[in-house]
Amino acid sequence: MHQRGYGRDTELNIRMALTSFFLLLIYVAFAGLLFWAGISPIFILIMGAILAAFQYFGSDKLVLLTTGARIVGPDEEPKLHGMVERLSAMADMPRPKKLAIIDTHVPNAFATGRNPKNSIVTVTTGLMSRLDEKEQEAVLAHELSHIKNRDVMIITWAGLIVIVSGYLLQVLFWISLFGGFGGGRRESGSNSMLIALALYVGTIIIYFMSQLLILSLSRYREYAADRSGAMLTGAPLQLASALNKISDDMYRIPEKDLRQVEHANAFFIINAIKGNASAKLLSSHPPVEKRVERLREMHRQMEAGF
Amino acid sequence: MGLLSVLFGRHKIKQVNRDGYFSIATAADSLHSYGDLEHTGKAGLVFNPVESTFFENLNSEVNELLEVTSKSTDSEYEIVDDTYGTSWVVISDHDFDDLVSVLYLIGETITEHGFGDRLVATVFGFNYKDNQAYLIYNIKRGKFYPMVLSGGKERDNRSEMHIGTLLEKENLPVEKSLEQWYALWGIPF
Repeated sequence: MHQRGYGRDTELNIRMALTSFFLLLIYVAFAGLLFWAGISPIFILIMGAILAAFQYFGSDKLVLLTTGARIVGPDEEPKLHGMVERLSAMADMPRPKKLAIIDTHVPNAFATGRNPKNSIVTVTTGLMSRLDEKEQEAVLAHELSHIKNRDVMIITWAGLIVIVSGYLLQVLFWISLFGGFGGGRRESGSNSMLIALALYVGTIIIYFMSQLLILSLSRYREYAADRSGAMLTGAPLQLASALNKISDDMYRIPEKDLRQVEHANAFFIINAIKGNASAKLLSSHPPVEKRVERLREMHRQMEAGF
Repeated sequence: MGLLSVLFGRHKIKQVNRDGYFSIATAADSLHSYGDLEHTGKAGLVFNPVESTFFENLNSEVNELLEVTSKSTDSEYEIVDDTYGTSWVVISDHDFDDLVSVLYLIGETITEHGFGDRLVATVFGFNYKDNQAYLIYNIKRGKFYPMVLSGGKERDNRSEMHIGTLLEKENLPVEKSLEQWYALWGIPF
């Protein structure tokens, strides 16, 4: 599907591959740590898989329950259904099982469901009212791309290690609280104490490392969905414009007048706050300015054909 | 371009960042032919006047300047105050090159009197499809960016970003960060 010049993003592919590789390393390290500490990694992983499966199969229902989203049929929202159907046909994927609407002014949209057939696309009323039709289409194409790219599945299964190590951390914490360490093995109390401590520290490191990796993987999937969504509509700037409208951060095309900021410019308020590295590391979505910049780059590639 | 060579012969251009300014003159034709951007024959210089007799006499200064250059241009001008406390020199001329150079000269005149820091932007009026569009040259930053108004009041970001790419292709110095694409509301032309 990437034979056309404008859809390619080699850098993103490399980053995703690297992140997956590191994630795999972390998995191996975690298994090794458990094995070394005398805990069966298989048992832990099976337990984690059960937890993840619960989240995986229940996520669509859970989301609908917690957000107060309302399922809307084709007779209720013919336009929305029409748009999604058209885009699904274009993307050569089954149309999502259901469409839902949340009644809120906050403009947002998301897709849930473990596979394309069981997916639900949800939009807010704020999104529909604030964006024009083209921009709505762009956002829906982005969400459908999440489904087509199997992002729910990938993030859930990749995130298994976060769940498992987090769970193990809790268990270790409670055991240590009740003085469980050292008491179990009479033959070498201090040695097992050391092992337990190493296990504890190791698990903490693995927990945070994998958390960071999952977050960056999630950000890359976000870029990828932007890219495939824009390929679907053929109009990257539609999505860029939509992102620009619904984002509330300050790094976007301003509505503010140049003459008003002339005076404020002297204080460099904006530049001082810019570039917060830790915030970037810890968020699951890339900053809108970067997403817009990538979409513009895609548009440049499209224009370069002329 | 006759006027430009006169200009370069007479002055040494002080601000380096205004070099890129003239690239809009050469880009105008191709922006029209495949970018759907047709200039309206109107452009303006917006500045923030200070209490000085120079600005009080700006009318006659501009008048004088245009008289000098009127051999090669038939530009008409108008000085308009806006609600932001800033003022505009609005030039009407069917020849785009003349718009570019006359506004440059006015900017130079203001700069020569020591008020270069009062200049805000040079703005060129365009028709883009059915909408009003402006190419704004932020004088402080020496960068161009577009503003497109759909339905008269709302910015059309999609068209703006599209035009931004076209400007880059024409090798204009385009403002890279979108958060600097400030609006100019109520442009008097």
